[in-house]
Amino acid sequence: MKRIMIDHEKCDGCKNCSIACMQAHRETEGTVYDLDLTDPRNESRNYILKDADGHYRPLFCRHCDEPKCVEACMSGALSKDPKSGHVFYDETRCGSCFMCVMNCPYGVLKPDTVSKTKVIKCDFCVNAGEGPSCVASCPKQAIYVEEV
Amino acid sequence: MNECYGCNTCKSADKPLEGFIAGLPMETSHHRVDSQSTKCGFGLQGVCCRLCANGPCRITPKSPRGICGANADTIVVRNLLRAVASGSGCYIHVVENTALNVKNIAKTKGEIKGVETLKRLADIFGIEESDVHKCAEAVADAVLRDLYLPEYEKMQLTEKLSYGPRYEKWKELGILPGGAKSEVFHGVVKCSTNLNSDPVNMLLDCLKLGISTGIHGLVLTNLLNDVVLGEPEIRTAPVGLRVIDPDYINIMITGHQHSMFTFLQTRLIDDDVKEKAKKAGAKGFKLVGCTCVGQDLQLRGAHYTEIFDGHAGNNYTSEAILATGGIDAVISEFNCTLPGIEPICDELKIKQICIDNVAKKANAELKEFDFENRAAVTEEIIDEIVEAYKARRGSVTMNLMKDHGNDNTLTGVSEVSLKKFLGGSWQPLIDLIVSGDIKGVAGVVGCSNLTAGGHDVLSVDLVKELIARDIIVLTAGCSSGGIENCGLMVPEAARYAGPKLRAVCEKLGIPPVLNFGPCLAIGRLEIVATELAEALKVDLPQLPLVLSAAQWLEEQALADGCYGLALGLPLHLGLPPFVTGSPVAVQVLTEDMKKLTGGHVIINSDAKASADILEKIIEEKRQGLNI
Repeated sequence: MKRIMIDHEKCDGCKNCSIACMQAHRETEGTVYDLDLTDPRNESRNYILKDADGHYRPLFCRHCDEPKCVEACMSGALSKDPKSGHVFYDETRCGSCFMCVMNCPYGVLKPDTVSKTKVIKCDFCVNAGEGPSCVASCPKQAIYVEEV
Repeated sequence: MNECYGCNTCKSADKPLEGFIAGLPMETSHHRVDSQSTKCGFGLQGVCCRLCANGPCRITPKSPRGICGANADTIVVRNLLRAVASGSGCYIHVVENTALNVKNIAKTKGEIKGVETLKRLADIFGIEESDVHKCAEAVADAVLRDLYLPEYEKMQLTEKLSYGPRYEKWKELGILPGGAKSEVFHGVVKCSTNLNSDPVNMLLDCLKLGISTGIHGLVLTNLLNDVVLGEPEIRTAPVGLRVIDPDYINIMITGHQHSMFTFLQTRLIDDDVKEKAKKAGAKGFKLVGCTCVGQDLQLRGAHYTEIFDGHAGNNYTSEAILATGGIDAVISEFNCTLPGIEPICDELKIKQICIDNVAKKANAELKEFDFENRAAVTEEIIDEIVEAYKARRGSVTMNLMKDHGNDNTLTGVSEVSLKKFLGGSWQPLIDLIVSGDIKGVAGVVGCSNLTAGGHDVLSVDLVKELIARDIIVLTAGCSSGGIENCGLMVPEAARYAGPKLRAVCEKLGIPPVLNFGPCLAIGRLEIVATELAEALKVDLPQLPLVLSAAQWLEEQALADGCYGLALGLPLHLGLPPFVTGSPVAVQVLTEDMKKLTGGHVIINSDAKASADILEKIIEEKRQGLNI
């Protein structure tokens, strides 16, 4: 089972991971050159926060072993894939109760900015076939994929 | 430094060169493309601003404005204007030095090789002076006077050197430039912190800088160089790494200022200097062409057959040229002298000398070109190079590439030599365009970069696509260096052209790609275009003529591009110039510009798709002319 691991000391806050995530999940066709960086519909599934000491803290969905979001989900929209161990989100089953958001221990889940009817959730770029786009775009290898 | 050499070099259109670089025991730019392949998305779109201590600010859905309130449009166009102003500054520096050199040569009654060009310039400027030296001095003074005017006084030579309908258009748009140096100053002031925030207003400044860059920086530099260094004459010459002859003391030259070599290139073939080489064990000295100044020497090569053996390669071939071991010294005076040559020079004991402090390399000795002391400085340079030769030869392994390139690239093409070749009039070319034997003209100009498909990959592929569609290609810049080394400028390259263009080329014995030389020669292409438009009594945007800076690299190319847009020409770029984060910049550059000047930007990194677009534009322009 693969997970995105974080070496926060290497992060210098460039947000390339966020742009890669936005590009990977945009609704329109195109390249990173024409990705609308101001459009909230293109929001990222990961974030870089700065802690009180001035260090960067990359926040990524951990696809937890005991996912609190899945436990809290009443509609069955969130589920843990037994094979890959990834936590997937089925938008069509979501009741927009946002209990997952309330229960995420990392604070990484959030309602979408535009409609506030769905959850912005990492899908490990499973449809892209080449691993998570954020990891591929990190120039510092502050995030990397590890077999666990 | 990468630990593994050769396993990760980028592609090159020049396959033998690609193999050579991959096999080198040292790192080059081609090796570093891979480790720099992760690009910053904000940077690519031009929406990172670090103009103040609050920055860097970047545009995201949650932060559509910087701390100061600047939105993506303001941030992007400020960055663009800064780049264009800087690029313009580079060319204006080049023309300033060139004019000063012409003036000094004239004052000291030095050789005026291009009397015809001098006469032509004097006629254009309205200078009546029969003494060539006095005339050359007056011409140089007129150029310098213009360059040093304040921003609020329009340059006097702009109208004299530009096509009437264009000049009127620029006047109407309010973009006639003041003094060229002051315009650079104005541009950098305008895009500084918390000054201008109006993207359209700043884009008009880019056009204005394009005009001063084009007319003074490009057109005039070529012609002033012709005055003191000789006019281009059409001939064939060898190109590629084959030009390096290890029996000689070889000096690779890089930069853009041919006039700085006026004294040196003559001195190196004087008997007493040749004797120094012979004493050291060499047959003599050779200048090996690299970057645009190498193209300049190649262009005027008919006058320098003894000292100049040929052009070895463009900016991103420079490291490979040095890695052959056959080069004993590098004399640089401007860009594109890559910092990456420094460790190679260290390793192979190649002496680096810089003759203009704006381009001082970290481990080069600065021997500033000083006209008054030129004789003494030149002797010092020659002696140091001889010493370098003696110290390194024997201890450095040669890794030559004797088969690289070709022996018969057509060169020496200029607005004058081409017209002469056609019988003294553009009518034969116009007739071929009208009949459709030549569908149109494409200027494939500017630099070479390593990211638009690889080294020269997009440029060469695009050229092949264009000539296959019977579109004749004219080149200027480092693109020329790549395209010639790939064999597209030998007469036999006619076979790559479409049937109609092929027939024309075979009849005339010319290649389908004509090499005008350095990037400065974009100014010569403009003269050709203007004279064609004049003959047809139309304005430039009506011509079946397109421009492509497929592999533009640097800020100077952006200033050139603005000139192309001011001329009203369609301008293709392989990679966007860091503007796509701004909807206003994209709209103005790719669409609204058509209504302003007639030009527009096309961005496409695929050779075939780009050629399709350019061919369609040419066909539309043909329809517009009813041909």
